[in-house]
Amino acid sequence: MNNKLQAKDLINLGLFTVLYFVLGCCVAIPIGFVPIFLPILGALWTLITGIPFMLFLTRVKKFGMVTLMAILSGLLMGLTGMGYWGVPLGLIFGLLGDLILKFGNYKSAKRSLIGYAVFSLWMVGTYIPMYFMVEDSRASFAASFGKEYADKVMAVMPMWSIVLVIAGIFICAIIGGMIGKALLKKHFVKAGIV
Amino acid sequence: MDEILSATVDSRNGIVLDPRTKLFMLITITTLMFSTSNDGIMNIVKPILSLIPFALILSEHKFKTAGKYAVLYAVCFVLERLALNVWSGMISFLILAATSIMTRFAPGIMTGAYLISSTSVSEFISAMERMHVTEKIIIPLSVIFRFFPTIKEEYQAIRDAMKMRNIRFGGKNPFLMIEYRLIPLMVSVIKIGDELSAAALTRGLGAPVRRTNVCEIGFHVQDFSAIVVCFACFILFFLHQYIVF
Amino acid sequence: MIKIDHATFTYGENNEYSVGIRDIDLEIEDGQVIVLCGESGCGKTTLTRMINGLIPHYYEGKLTGEIWINGINVSQQPLYDTAKIVGSVFQNPRSQFFNVDTTSEITFGCENLGMPKEEIKDRLQATIQELHLKKLIGRNIFQLSGGEKQKIACAGVSIMKPDIFVLDEPSSNLDAASIMDLRRIIAHWKEQGKTIIISEHRLYYLRGLADRFIYMKEGQIIQDYSATEFENLTEEKREEMGLRAYVLENLLMPEMLISERTTMELHDFNFAYKNGPQILYIRECEIPANRIVAITGNNGAGKSTFSRCFCGLEKQCGTIIWNGKTYRPKERLKACYMVMQEVNHQLFTETIQDEVMISMKEENEKEADKFLDMLDLIKVKDRHPMSLSGGQKQRAAIASAIASGRSVLFLDEPTSGLDHKHMLEVAEVLREVWDTGISVYVITHDLELIIECCTDVIHFENGTIADQYQMDAEGMEKIRKYFIQEKCCGKWSKSD
Repeated sequence: MNNKLQAKDLINLGLFTVLYFVLGCCVAIPIGFVPIFLPILGALWTLITGIPFMLFLTRVKKFGMVTLMAILSGLLMGLTGMGYWGVPLGLIFGLLGDLILKFGNYKSAKRSLIGYAVFSLWMVGTYIPMYFMVEDSRASFAASFGKEYADKVMAVMPMWSIVLVIAGIFICAIIGGMIGKALLKKHFVKAGIV
Repeated sequence: MDEILSATVDSRNGIVLDPRTKLFMLITITTLMFSTSNDGIMNIVKPILSLIPFALILSEHKFKTAGKYAVLYAVCFVLERLALNVWSGMISFLILAATSIMTRFAPGIMTGAYLISSTSVSEFISAMERMHVTEKIIIPLSVIFRFFPTIKEEYQAIRDAMKMRNIRFGGKNPFLMIEYRLIPLMVSVIKIGDELSAAALTRGLGAPVRRTNVCEIGFHVQDFSAIVVCFACFILFFLHQYIVF
Repeated sequence: MIKIDHATFTYGENNEYSVGIRDIDLEIEDGQVIVLCGESGCGKTTLTRMINGLIPHYYEGKLTGEIWINGINVSQQPLYDTAKIVGSVFQNPRSQFFNVDTTSEITFGCENLGMPKEEIKDRLQATIQELHLKKLIGRNIFQLSGGEKQKIACAGVSIMKPDIFVLDEPSSNLDAASIMDLRRIIAHWKEQGKTIIISEHRLYYLRGLADRFIYMKEGQIIQDYSATEFENLTEEKREEMGLRAYVLENLLMPEMLISERTTMELHDFNFAYKNGPQILYIRECEIPANRIVAITGNNGAGKSTFSRCFCGLEKQCGTIIWNGKTYRPKERLKACYMVMQEVNHQLFTETIQDEVMISMKEENEKEADKFLDMLDLIKVKDRHPMSLSGGQKQRAAIASAIASGRSVLFLDEPTSGLDHKHMLEVAEVLREVWDTGISVYVITHDLELIIECCTDVIHFENGTIADQYQMDAEGMEKIRKYFIQEKCCGKWSKSD
């Protein structure tokens, strides 16, 4: 079998990326309106997108597809205005996730959960401007949102809380992956689609 | 939103811009709008940037959409100012939360929608190739392009079906609601995707030759002016701390 | 020349799935128009996939034997090389375009193969002329009708000038007029001396075009007919073989299904989609009720919009007065049920039985089983809806409609892409549903279905009901005229 990515694989990749992204946005957009929920946004995203991702894995047999999906997701995220840090982080965590999955031959159940969780960490990229840029421009942040608001946001998101954000994404990804697997079994396996 | 996403080249009037210009404008808007700084000169730069999608949509003769967007942005902008400078307490906090999201995201989303609706897949591929982007990114991206409207179409059909079956079921269980919507959507999108792959492959997609691009893209006066505006905004952004007035 | 030498193909890794085709030996001369026919699952689609190379390069499975085209073994060369000599058109117009606008879609293949720009432009002009596509250029494909999409698909392969055209059930989703357009395109290719292979259920539109009919069953070629031999088959023989009508003129009058003719009144069915032109113009009208009514008319005549309005899916459109009761859209939503063409969209649960149960006011397993039994689904009641055949899914949707106690059933093209046997099954089901006292309305482009089970016909033109009649001797003549006109059999008009 040819191990290079072919047109067929790339079309599949596009297809699942768009499903993954649209689904994530369906969760993110209504929740994003309430800034207090920002820290758990990434976690909720990975919780729901486990479903298309697990289905995606049934089609992945070649190295690189998961990496590319992370990069593309980061890119799309950037184009919606969440900053472009998702692209480099997508490269890193996509690659790591891809490696983990590859060692399980894209089939091992345990590895697919961990692989998905690691892959999901590209989402951390969307938090980078909030954490690392906010310090720089804290004053201007206060100027634009009012001191009160800025203080509240800072209270919700102190520097150390990024650890919680990362942990949240990781844990929810594991749960989301399990939900995805369960649904896959419930519908797609029974239906003979995968 | 809806009208923009569904329209394409059908009613292609308005300014013709190179896809790369549109992309650059989108990047400028999404980057600068989301930056938290709101000092001095940025108070002028941001509203100017927010006018870009307005002008673009207007040039497409989509007056209704352009009007809705302009009113929405203006109301949010004014509310934001009022909440910052006049009001205080919980109300101002809530208003700020909602309006700041709108003023930050709306221009980017509108520009993104314009990019999708006014660019054909082949123009997009052509532009990406000229930027020497690898095929591994171009093909998935063009599929993504093609599938936004498909997902919308399929989702509407499923929503109709649920309406007709009088969705008592699942009404109490939010998880079932998601499941009932999601599973048929994924099944039909994947089916369409498989058939699409087959059709594209029988027409030579992925051939190891340099792809021809029939569509005409290239930079013209309007592109240069748009790029200059974007650059100016970036420069003002980097220098905004030093510009006092 | 195409030469298939002892080819056998099974899908998937384990043979239990489905045997595609078995031990096929076939030679096709240049310039012939070949029709592959037979019941669903007979292997005709698989055979087309071997010729265009999708087997073994896209559909995975086990292939033995060889397929030679003009001296090249196509199973050995990559798809993009086969693309230069074989062009393919598929069944589903919605899923075979890669671009969003028509112009780029037509040139897509040539661009992929890296042809010189000027040549592509010249070919584009020529293709537009030859296939009469002027009106479709520069449009959004998502806004085209099925027939128009299929034309674009034909243009997209025509421009690549392959020697061989492979069409896989291309007429499945088309209306009567679009089918004639398709015929015109195939005739044009034939004139150019191309080899054309069509896998198809509908046969009537190929009369006078096809040179050979290959009848397949269970993955094997049973009989190889010349056009004359095929024409001389009796209707009984053809039906016995499970094939659709070939000579529409030979179709017999149906036995009249007698029932009392009652009507319902429609008021103010005027409708336009948001930002769109008005599509429906019906101020006042009476249509038959308690019957099986066929709704016909060309694409764009307003049939589907009418059905959406009728079923109450569009909130502000018209009222219906029936048996002294007034139905506004909201009430109609509860009284009507539409079985969509894409039936996948309306099945949600894990098993067929659940699907019926959730539609009931009070979940009752015994009742549910009764409906399942009636629709011949009792054996598969624990299967997942998505694992069933198209016909079974359709029946599952109908079962849930009956279970929910609706009084009107709408069906959108229930027989598109079905073979003779399955078409008869649908007709049978519709009659049974009707027997339970439900009014049935069927949007259809299938003359055989209409003759088989419909009692009345409503004909749509330009957003309004142009004609309605009963399926008696006179009605039969009318409906036949609409389908046949003088379009078929060589005398089609050369309009744009």
